[in-house]
Amino acid sequence: MTPRKEPEAEPLIARDATYYRAPDALRTRIRAAVRAEARERARPMMWRWGGLAASFATVALVSWNVAMLQARGSDEERIESEVATAHVRSLMAESHLNDVISTDQHTVKPWFEGKLDFAPDVTDLAQAGYALMGGRLDYLDGRPVAALTYRHRLHVVNLFEWPAAPGADASPQLLSRNGYAIAHWRRGGLQYWAISDIASADLLEFAKRLS
Amino acid sequence: MTGLARFEQAVLPHLDAAYNLARWLTRNDHDAEDVVQEAFMRAMRYFDRMKGTEARPWLLAIVRNTCYSWLEKNRPADLVALDDAGPLAADGETLGQASGMETNPEVILLQSANRKLVNQALEELPVAFREVIVMREIEDLSYKEIASIAGIPAGTVMSRLSRGREMLRQAIESRMRRAS
Repeated sequence: MTPRKEPEAEPLIARDATYYRAPDALRTRIRAAVRAEARERARPMMWRWGGLAASFATVALVSWNVAMLQARGSDEERIESEVATAHVRSLMAESHLNDVISTDQHTVKPWFEGKLDFAPDVTDLAQAGYALMGGRLDYLDGRPVAALTYRHRLHVVNLFEWPAAPGADASPQLLSRNGYAIAHWRRGGLQYWAISDIASADLLEFAKRLS
Repeated sequence: MTGLARFEQAVLPHLDAAYNLARWLTRNDHDAEDVVQEAFMRAMRYFDRMKGTEARPWLLAIVRNTCYSWLEKNRPADLVALDDAGPLAADGETLGQASGMETNPEVILLQSANRKLVNQALEELPVAFREVIVMREIEDLSYKEIASIAGIPAGTVMSRLSRGREMLRQAIESRMRRAS
């Protein structure tokens, strides 16, 4: 076969095939992408090193967060232990349990007024088998907190409430300490710690009704 | 002139050519757009190396490479190895015999076959033949340009063109027969 030089001699079979033109949207997108890429390249070297420095800063920040997380973990453990101690102490003598004795949440809640720098949430759960017994002031996490007591059959549930550090609400989390079930959750800026010797499933049920 | 301005002036005008080639190789609007966009980003990266060469074939070589990488990843079946010297069809018709058909009046008839039919037949051609026909007949590139874009000798471009055209002719004919 001898290659032909003149295109005129070629049998242009596909000449009629479609010439696909770039859609306008693609044209716009590519123009924008090209400009963005050009800007990126135009960044002075120092900025790029700045980027590197920024990534070091990120690593530092992440490490710090991890450290804080661990610190918070140990914070939680400390509170957990304080909650258990407060619960046991409250049961040692009937008189330690409640400063205000009432099954009426509208009596218990106002009792805290002027004694705390926050308004605790007081909800009676008698219908669900957790009858409100009353409330008292307690001292946890280095501050005065609200302590509410509930009775579930023959068992006492202590519910501690105080303001939480800023953060999102969190649903109940079950823990246990010295044989006690502990539930911990956050809602509306308050942190809640419930503790009892009831089954952890029952405590979780109690916590879910309040969270 | 800034690098951006030079790129916009030299390369962007060939966006249609880039899209046409990508569209014919991927056979799909959406994939062609993705490939072209990626090819333009690569073109920017290598723009310094374009110096002294024509922008259109330079860009099309990048588009073609991007298409092939894309096909390799997404449609490996489209990239079956081909034997340039192999027989053309089951009847053993060879390239030399086929080239005799080029001046056949039949071909003139084929040229008037409707666009849809030609499009379909061309789409079904193996990619190695499809691309040389698209570049030669639709994009009007020279043999030399096609050779540099596809990274094959000019002689191979010509033989693939010739063989591809014969395959295309047969495909169109059989489609016409089926249609009538």
